[in-house]
Amino acid sequence: MLERRNPLSKIVAVTPLMAIAALAGDVYLPLALTGLALFTLLVGGVAPKRILGALIPLALVALGFLMLYPLIVRRELVMHTPAIARIGDLVIYAGALRFGLVAMARVLALVSLSLIFSLTTPVDDFVRALVQQARVPHRVGYAALAALRFAPLLRDELAQIRAAHRVRGLARSGVVGELAQARRALVPLLASAIRRAERAALAMDGRAFGAYPQRTYLRRVTLDWADVGLALLLWAAAAAIILALQALGWLGPLSFVQRV
Amino acid sequence: MIALEHLTVRYVGRRQPALADLSLTLHPGETTLLLGPSGCGKSTLALTLNGLIPHSQDVATFSGRVMVNGCDTRATPPSSLAPQVGIVFQDPEAQCVMWNVADEVAFGPENLCLPPEEIRRRVGEALAAVGMAGWEGASAWQLSGGQKQRVALASLLALRPRVIVFDEPTAHLDPQGVREVFAAIAALKQGGDHTLILIEHRLDELMPMIDRVVVLGARGELIADGAPHAVFNAHFDDLRALGVWLPQVTLLGARLGLRPLPVTLEQAELALRAYVGSAFHPIGNGHQPEFRAANGPAAIEAHALTYRYGAREALREVSFAAPEGSLWAVIGSNGAGKSTLARLLAGLLPLREGALVIRGRDARRLSARDWSRAVGLVFQNPEHQFVAATVRDELRLSARAAGLDAGRREQRVDELLERFALARYANANPFTLSHGEKRRLSVATLLITDQPILLFDEPTFGQDQQNAQAIQALLASLRAEGRTIGVITHDMALAAHAQHVLVMHQGRVLAQGAPESIFADADVLRRAQLLLPPIGELGMRLGLRPLPLTVEAFAKLAQTPAYA
Repeated sequence: MLERRNPLSKIVAVTPLMAIAALAGDVYLPLALTGLALFTLLVGGVAPKRILGALIPLALVALGFLMLYPLIVRRELVMHTPAIARIGDLVIYAGALRFGLVAMARVLALVSLSLIFSLTTPVDDFVRALVQQARVPHRVGYAALAALRFAPLLRDELAQIRAAHRVRGLARSGVVGELAQARRALVPLLASAIRRAERAALAMDGRAFGAYPQRTYLRRVTLDWADVGLALLLWAAAAAIILALQALGWLGPLSFVQRV
Repeated sequence: MIALEHLTVRYVGRRQPALADLSLTLHPGETTLLLGPSGCGKSTLALTLNGLIPHSQDVATFSGRVMVNGCDTRATPPSSLAPQVGIVFQDPEAQCVMWNVADEVAFGPENLCLPPEEIRRRVGEALAAVGMAGWEGASAWQLSGGQKQRVALASLLALRPRVIVFDEPTAHLDPQGVREVFAAIAALKQGGDHTLILIEHRLDELMPMIDRVVVLGARGELIADGAPHAVFNAHFDDLRALGVWLPQVTLLGARLGLRPLPVTLEQAELALRAYVGSAFHPIGNGHQPEFRAANGPAAIEAHALTYRYGAREALREVSFAAPEGSLWAVIGSNGAGKSTLARLLAGLLPLREGALVIRGRDARRLSARDWSRAVGLVFQNPEHQFVAATVRDELRLSARAAGLDAGRREQRVDELLERFALARYANANPFTLSHGEKRRLSVATLLITDQPILLFDEPTFGQDQQNAQAIQALLASLRAEGRTIGVITHDMALAAHAQHVLVMHQGRVLAQGAPESIFADADVLRRAQLLLPPIGELGMRLGLRPLPLTVEAFAKLAQTPAYA
């Protein structure tokens, strides 16, 4: 269901929610928004497996925030809170841990909300919507699309090039070796990318690309009531969450910077 | 109708023109085969026909003119040329620009601002014409090479051009893809609505549909023009000297002294039936002429090799022996596991399951250095291997990596420059070399340590006749020095020259043995989706055993005492 929604309307629907998540000063709001995002994805027909596949690596990043935050947070901010652990000279304050939790919850919320767009929007649909509705020139949009089409091919080619260098015994381990290898791979990769681009340009021109200032479309990206409804529903749900948390006193300050 | 009038085209930075004062008229409904040595301007000619030259590609000189249905291409915008002349290019990846099949085919009509209903109708018709009806929703990533080329053709047909140019449409395809593309071309020819211009090197399969052959010379000038039978018979020696592709059956006819030279398989069959009566004895007289040397010790022996990428099994219990000193070919369709096998043999992938014996030594016990001194792998694209600014530095780098001491290094580099005829280019940038020179350099960089086993991944892929022949000669000379040469290839003509063939299918070994017996097994060919080389097809029709696969083998058979 989400896949059929207009890509641009999805961005419009999700952006304010992401802004609120980024401003959240306590853990409850971002966690609730995460829940809302996951609920929307599931109802929207995205397979749980795909959600988990996208979420798990990012959840690990969020966990990293939790671990790191207590160590890097400014001491003046948290010194008044009780210390919960001491590792040598290092003191972990309860306040610092809380800041870490908030940071983690924000990251989780931002990521899950962005999945509403990224998991359900094929790149070509997005470019089509940009061209058809956001008035991006079609020459730019379709050239970008052709270029994006090459990304996996170039990735395969890079793997080939690296193997070709390894078989010559040019591979060295370690960071310096890896860097040298990447630099060596660059020239053949660029040469081939340029050649591919030239060929693609000829193939596109050969099919009258850019013949007229405008073009028609087999598939028009539409904007209908369901798209508007999706945005309104998401906003209403977010507002309800904020009001409920406010009533419970769990909302916390809305600000990008952490305050005491 | 298309008319070239005194057309001369010269690229920026070149002294020689790509096309020189060429005048040619292409008639409606005609199917023309365009031949010429590499770099003679065949592709340039193709690009001038729908105005991509000069409209999309800058050239230094464009004189004379190209008239398409009475309009000068220079004065006609691409938007009105594209619906008249379409070009199918060589590389299926580079001409597919959208993400799914329907959008790809719709791309052209969309550019012409046709209404959506009309576009939808044309997409359906075009896909049906190439035998891909019902594939509208398929993603471009899931298509095979042959399917991609058919979609490329469909996306031109959707513009309804009357003239379609094919510029080496099968050079990047596996045998199954070749078959599909030829079937699509044959269907177009059958329809009778199109003027077709073919640049292609698998002539035997195409010959029955060719009405006219046009041959360009090395400087882009017109050498011969006429019906196939007339051109090949009148100009045979010139064409051979020029290095253009010729039908295998024509080469065979010349070798056997047949007159007139056969041009199609049917003509060759007819001519040889008469010949068989005199020169060949009836088949099955029990005498098996000695064809190939018996198998010696194995250079590489594999026992139950299995390899997985994650959950995907790329190789399953692959066992084989590659005879020492042989030309050994691994064939099979895309995704059969050939490249994985090559990488495993070269030590680029970890040996997890199964056993590998390289020249009598357990590969697991070989150090990385010893392994790389025993087996070299030459990749498909020579450019991928290049890292240095000059040819000499490229070789020096390999010598250092191989651990040669400083004194020995320069000497070895000089030897290799000499051996591969690269001394002239010692200070040139590797990327500026010609195709053939690049290939030689890529082999030279590997041969620093003089490996006794050399593997080549698709050595003739996307090459023209001259380069393909030069590569075959290179392989033969490396083998003559006592090396074992392994080729991983879609090129059945190359595999036909091997002493031992391994047929892979879906990660397993389907068959292995002498090519004469492999290619005689219709069941293996069908299951592995392979093609019989043209001479083999002829031998099959004539009922010859052992099955000859190359012109040389066929000629030898004709001279064998038992047959004479």
